[in-house]
Amino acid sequence: MADKPIPLFSRVVVALNGGPCDERIVRLVVETARPTKAEVVAIHVVEIDWTLPLDANVADRSESAQRVLDIADAAAEHLHGKLEPVLIQARDVGAAIVDEAVERAADLLVVGLPYRKRFGGDFAIGRTVPYVLKNAPCAVWVVREPMPGEIHA
Amino acid sequence: MFVLVVGGGKVGYYLTRELSESGHEVVLMEKDRGRADQIADEIGSIVVAKDGCEGSALADAGANRADVVAAVTGDDEDNLVICQMAKHHFAVPKTIARVNNPKNEPLFKHLGVDELISPTRMILGSIEQDIPVHELLHLAPLSHEFELVEAQLTAESPAVGRTLLQLELPAGCSVVAIVRDEVAQAVGPDTIFRAGDKVIATGRPECEPALHGTLIGALPGA
Repeated sequence: MADKPIPLFSRVVVALNGGPCDERIVRLVVETARPTKAEVVAIHVVEIDWTLPLDANVADRSESAQRVLDIADAAAEHLHGKLEPVLIQARDVGAAIVDEAVERAADLLVVGLPYRKRFGGDFAIGRTVPYVLKNAPCAVWVVREPMPGEIHA
Repeated sequence: MFVLVVGGGKVGYYLTRELSESGHEVVLMEKDRGRADQIADEIGSIVVAKDGCEGSALADAGANRADVVAAVTGDDEDNLVICQMAKHHFAVPKTIARVNNPKNEPLFKHLGVDELISPTRMILGSIEQDIPVHELLHLAPLSHEFELVEAQLTAESPAVGRTLLQLELPAGCSVVAIVRDEVAQAVGPDTIFRAGDKVIATGRPECEPALHGTLIGALPGA
């Protein structure tokens, strides 16, 4: 009798920011999740500043945000995988990602780390990734954007 | 209700936490980045690390839609500036300022701050309640023009043995209640004042010497 694969995770929350990392993250997660049928939740957070109520109708931004999730959904389908797209309006992206992971009892959180091409090029660590690393209730994978000239799958 | 709290000291921190736990939308402004991060770690991402004395920072924190702005920094001048900007630039319906130096209270009132909270005066009031003084005790400001005061009558007080009708209260002053044997009572025209009564009255600050004279006796040197 063949051994069943030991699942790395059963429920993963994937944070997408609409950047070039997104496709790489989706591919990585969907392919890893497929053998164990792990649940994949893809979230995209629209940050609402304090000048507006949290439930403000930001239609123009929602449209582009929805597009981020649509692209992720299509990428997952292309790999014969499935993900649940979730659009969130929040005051702070990092806190919203962590909250979602807590709420869904995720055992893995995946975030992207963009590469800044201007100013000599560097990884823009920003506030979100450190916040997630510090506060996530589960394992965190940080997927960096490929550096220029890097050979990647 | 959306409340903007400015000043991340002890007062601002606990105020923000209590409001948040009560279900209000609240944002705290603290100019010290380290302190702001520390508070955010404890109560969540409702902290804006900016100086509330700057109009653009107040705008970023949502002053344009705030129902209440509470300026509770340890600096009276900052609190005054914050409340004035909130009131006149962002048309905030209610501004509340912490006033550390009681001598600044008239200025705050004059410049249109809706509500003043003076910890110094509160502590003074509490101390005055516990020591036998023959002064009018300030209980609370009522709007911008009136004060709520308490007068403790002694056997020598001119009001003792007289009815409310017989008292010649200064214009603009009125007696609202008495506390007799630890029980608050309404005052009627025929109520006779007794030694030991605590008389609760309202009046304009400038009438206080006359009210003092009618209830407790003439002020020394008056």
